[in-house]
Amino acid sequence: MADDIQIIKEAAVTEAMQERSNATFASRAVAATKIYGSGETSVRALDSVTVSFPSGEFTAIMGPSGSGKSTLLHCLAGLDDLTSGQVFIGDVEVTALDEKGKTRLRRDQVGFIFQSYNLVPTLTAEENIRLPLDLARRDADEEWLAKIIDIVGLGDRLTHRPTELSGGQQQRVAAARAMASKPDIVFADEPTGNLDSRRGSEILEFMRTAVKDFGQTIVMVTHDPISASYSDRVVLLADGQIVDEIRQPTVERVLDKLKSLEG
Amino acid sequence: MLRTTLKNLMAHKLRLGLTALAVVLGVGFVAGTFVLTDTMSRTFDDLFTDVTKGVDVYVRSESSFEAQIGGSRKPIPDDLVLRVRDVDGVAIASGSVDGYAQFVDQSGKAITPNGAPTLGVNWVPEPLTPLTLRDGDAPVGPDEVVVDAGTAGDNGFEVGDRITVLTQAGADEFTVSGVAGFGEADNLAGATLAAFDTETAQKLFDRKGRLASIEIAAEDGVATADLQTRIEEVLPQGVEASSGASVAREQAQSIQQGLGFFNTALLVFAGVALFVGAFIIYNTFSITVAQRMREFGLLRALGANGRQIMGSVLLEALLVGVTASLVGLGVGVAIAVLLQVLLATFGIELPSTTLQLLPRTIIVSLLVGTIVTVVSSVLPARKASRVTPMEALRDANPSDARWSVARTVTGALLTAAGVATLMFGLFGNSSQGLSLVGLGAFTTFIGISVLTPLFAAPLARVIGAPFKKVMHLPGKLAQQNAARNPRRTASTAAALMVGLALVGLVGIFAASLKASTNKIVDESLKADFMISNASIAAPPAISPKLGEEIARLGTVRSVAPLRQAQFRDDQKRSLFLSATDPSTFGDVADLEVTEGSIEALSEGGVLLFAPTAEDLDLAVGDDLEMRFAAAGARDIPVVGLYENKSMVNTDYLISLDTYDEVFTEPVDSAVLVTKSVDASPAEARAEIEKLTDEFPNVELRDQTEIKERSAADVDQLLGLVTALLGLALVIALLGITNTLALSVFERTRELGLLRAVGMARSQTKSMIRWESVIISLFGALLGIAVGIFFGWAFVAALNDQGITEFAIPFGQLIIYILFAGVAGIVAAIPPARRAARLNVLEAIATE
Repeated sequence: MADDIQIIKEAAVTEAMQERSNATFASRAVAATKIYGSGETSVRALDSVTVSFPSGEFTAIMGPSGSGKSTLLHCLAGLDDLTSGQVFIGDVEVTALDEKGKTRLRRDQVGFIFQSYNLVPTLTAEENIRLPLDLARRDADEEWLAKIIDIVGLGDRLTHRPTELSGGQQQRVAAARAMASKPDIVFADEPTGNLDSRRGSEILEFMRTAVKDFGQTIVMVTHDPISASYSDRVVLLADGQIVDEIRQPTVERVLDKLKSLEG
Repeated sequence: MLRTTLKNLMAHKLRLGLTALAVVLGVGFVAGTFVLTDTMSRTFDDLFTDVTKGVDVYVRSESSFEAQIGGSRKPIPDDLVLRVRDVDGVAIASGSVDGYAQFVDQSGKAITPNGAPTLGVNWVPEPLTPLTLRDGDAPVGPDEVVVDAGTAGDNGFEVGDRITVLTQAGADEFTVSGVAGFGEADNLAGATLAAFDTETAQKLFDRKGRLASIEIAAEDGVATADLQTRIEEVLPQGVEASSGASVAREQAQSIQQGLGFFNTALLVFAGVALFVGAFIIYNTFSITVAQRMREFGLLRALGANGRQIMGSVLLEALLVGVTASLVGLGVGVAIAVLLQVLLATFGIELPSTTLQLLPRTIIVSLLVGTIVTVVSSVLPARKASRVTPMEALRDANPSDARWSVARTVTGALLTAAGVATLMFGLFGNSSQGLSLVGLGAFTTFIGISVLTPLFAAPLARVIGAPFKKVMHLPGKLAQQNAARNPRRTASTAAALMVGLALVGLVGIFAASLKASTNKIVDESLKADFMISNASIAAPPAISPKLGEEIARLGTVRSVAPLRQAQFRDDQKRSLFLSATDPSTFGDVADLEVTEGSIEALSEGGVLLFAPTAEDLDLAVGDDLEMRFAAAGARDIPVVGLYENKSMVNTDYLISLDTYDEVFTEPVDSAVLVTKSVDASPAEARAEIEKLTDEFPNVELRDQTEIKERSAADVDQLLGLVTALLGLALVIALLGITNTLALSVFERTRELGLLRAVGMARSQTKSMIRWESVIISLFGALLGIAVGIFFGWAFVAALNDQGITEFAIPFGQLIIYILFAGVAGIVAAIPPARRAARLNVLEAIATE
């Protein structure tokens, strides 16, 4: 029985990976620079950042406040424009796309989990999960959806509206939505910020499962070392530049690095 | 608190901008109406002063009252002029006559000024005359006429040309001896004028040996009052002298009455526009108050009390109201000009001088605009005052889709009260009938608006269902957004509901009117042909000679002329009567005489409309006291009762002979003709037309053409009324744009999320657009439903006034609903664009 499940899992991974683009890097930034304002009052949020995120990896981006981590995430996702430099999702150069192209990219190739307010209040949980697919008027892979819903544990809440769900349940719906269209990459901006530790770890578990078992690529911005410990790699930012990275992070190592950054 | 309020206002200028616009338009309409009627009133005042400028004293018959149709004073004998001339202090005295005189242009068409009379006068010497000769000389002899400069200029008549003039006596050709202006103007307020020498005029206007009045100019240094007394001494019984000034006042007064009605009618439309505007204001303040609950909660937490919060909101409303009213005043002047143009396109041309902006207009406009704004904001202000400090900390998400017993009861009571008042106004016999109808309609609208949120959600969902199907996700979101806040959807749609209910009512009324007329023609009209005025704007002006000549034709069996005139009853109420030939009328129309007979009229007497006889408690054989302008009070015996007044349109009918005894102006308003049995319609028509062609101001119509013409007239009026309601509709649309804009603002975060997740700009616009259309359709459907109900009530109430058929113009109503949908699309354009252009990041980061 366990073997059967293992075989099914592997088949799913292969299938998922084949449907994604063949690039080894799900997302890349090359000399990404973002400057706010001009002249004397200009702020360099990102200073010629070059970083790559391999497919199938769970990466956390961390840094003190003002380090530019959220800005980097937004630019990687095509939500914000760079002053100079390039951003890629797979083979597609995001920075060369027009507004329509970026929108379509977000819809079909990218998944999002925000810290809060992820859901459309008038739609049910299920409708929220299907949102990107409905926007694209694409048929969902029903098997895949069923799987995600099952893993995320929302089976009995599908017809509920966000106001009828707890914070943790809402984030789980958001997470399910992010994966629903089998995107190339999922960006998460402080996904556990508003949750207590138990709900938070549920989400993080789900995210790790998605990466390990289904080959999903996830890039997460967080300030929380516990959340970071779920990732495969932590990228550290300070003053708009990448200053360090940690492979196979533990909570202690992350805390140490963070402290040295602050100091 | 004041500073906070002011800062708030400035920060949210845009938000309140649309609200202010609604007030501006409503106040503008009110101000414009007053400016227009004041200007017209002033014009006529000036006019009558100018006309009587050179005359110090008028000598005329005494009159029991002045009536407009066929009610001029009895003529006086023309030898009185000699007597008057002899009076000490009289510089110059001249008799004057007037009557119907219409020019015919070179192509044979009668020249009909729109809304102005066709005047015929005798030439009166200086300084008595208000006319100034521009070219040529005064008319001398039976062949000459002086033409007003306006007619001469417009139609290319010059001194020496031949010109045909229609009078009671028929059509005659004259030589243009001169062209005259009225001071600087080319004519008297648009009227055409033909001046003959006195003897000729007397002949043409059937006043041989008589005059309408004598005009006297005093010698220098003679006081008018003294002269008036002296002249009166030489006048016989029944003839009086009046000062020029008092005559001017008198003439102005009857115009003022007409203007008064006009003013009231326009103000009703302005009132509708303001009423609709009130909905917008209420809605805006409701939404902004809801959005600012957190802010208010914070103020409360800092120590402000409820009354201060309420005061702050009311103050905002006050400031908006005053500012908007001031702007509205300016707009009003522009609207006055617009109204003039609008009326002109529908055939009602008005004279104008400098626009009159009276203090009353300024005060009323400011008061009305401010009061409407403040009153509309009271309920939201009260809601704001009840906020608790906790609201500041909670995430504001107004979800008030609650069933409220209080709301249901209030709404039901208001609606019931409104309908009851309306019905009473329509069917009861109150003298305040119209006001009650207005009040009833007003209350009904409010009652329905209160009830609407209760079913707004399901109805919006139903209307939105096809959008969900066809427009996929944006359509689904539109449907849900429309249903998600029932109170807001309801109050947004309410404004459109009012507009469409009224438009629907008018449309149904017009359709019913047309259907009823057709029924009348089919059932009550026996005549094959009807001869009436070519232009509906002109007063009745068919020479009785025409009827006489037609009667002599071989192809014609019966001819019955119809005349209409005014008289007063013993309670001084002004009423209308008709007069016809009792021996032939039965052949041309069906009166449904139930008692007595129409033939009995030939002995003198009056026929009464049966329900009126019942009201007056009169039976055949009783006497009815009727007072006439020229003939005084008479007791006329009732000789019969009739049930069908559709062909005469009055409750009283007398014979032509009786008419000639008590009225001085025999002029027909219509002639009904039945052809002889053995002649074909074409034959009879050809013969009759030969005669009517000589009177270019009349038109011959058969039954089909009568129906068509009547329908065209109704449509013209319908067009005018709908156009006047147009402003209310525009305001309603502004309300939808307003609400949508505020909703977009409210849903910034949600929009940001949708865009982040991949909703295209076009899809965003689509979502907002269809939400707008759903709301518009919602309002339209509701409005049409109410309009049908009102239409039914109005038609039912006017059943015994001739509107017997209830017709619903389905095609027209469907077009109105479609227009509402299109309007919804247009109203959505600015907010949709705003929503699509949101910066996604900023939107997501919004609190």
